[in-house]
Amino acid sequence: MPGPIDLIIWSLGTAFELLFVVCSLARKSFLRYFFLNLYLLLSTTVSIGRFFILRSYGQCSVQYMYFYYYSDALLTLALFVALISLYSHVFGELRVGDYVRWGAVFLLLGTAGFSYAVVAQSAERLSTSFAYELSQNLYFVGLVLTYILWGAVMKLRETRTRLVQIILSLGLYFSGYAASYALMNFSGEFSIIRYICPALGCFLPLSWSLTMLRYTDESRLAPASLVAVPR
Amino acid sequence: MSRKLGALVLALGILVGAMGIKTVLSSNSKGTTMKANGPAPLPIPPPKQTTAQSN
Repeated sequence: MPGPIDLIIWSLGTAFELLFVVCSLARKSFLRYFFLNLYLLLSTTVSIGRFFILRSYGQCSVQYMYFYYYSDALLTLALFVALISLYSHVFGELRVGDYVRWGAVFLLLGTAGFSYAVVAQSAERLSTSFAYELSQNLYFVGLVLTYILWGAVMKLRETRTRLVQIILSLGLYFSGYAASYALMNFSGEFSIIRYICPALGCFLPLSWSLTMLRYTDESRLAPASLVAVPR
Repeated sequence: MSRKLGALVLALGILVGAMGIKTVLSSNSKGTTMKANGPAPLPIPPPKQTTAQSN
């Protein structure tokens, strides 16, 4: 079993995931942010499943490993769909919904094709390697997509506070993971950095919950100071 | 049709960019796994890929 710090962070993260769903329901925004709720509900379910498997078989067991990596692929896919739904929110007024959907489908197929090409040479456990590779590649695709979305938010001067904060949190979350991944490559798995990844897992649902609690759909950011244009 | 083509080109650009970032970040990789979902503890690394022998 993992240590007490790991367990505390894990249970806090799962509680925050549920908190977001509860906040969405309380604020009557469940359907508006349906895919974000779906992702966090799925994540909560997976977290509970992982806990029972870990308790039954142990952290170093093959059962936990398989369940972890297959569920991680599923969650990354759900996160990808949630991210695309944020694109639909941002670009909704421009009526480019079809364009976004086609782009998402091409991107998903491209990532799946690339992942398959990487693992196609594998002689055994093709499906496990594919799930693992797809999850890792989709993560990086999500990272790039979030930065592009943030650029679009800046360019379109988006003022919907909730949407802006949700996207900003997602950007920080992805950036934090990318940074910790790079640091772990230098420092190894058994340093203090190993606690950063689980802590980041708590950050996203907590920040989304706070956004949901503090702002309504009508909340708008104060416009930037007007630039004086000489006549 | 041109919009679909534009979406395809954009998707390919994003994919290339994403894989570029992955390559840069894992240039000194010790086989570290990128975990992006939830605060659960990491399991043992997945089985190593063994390349099929071509005859």
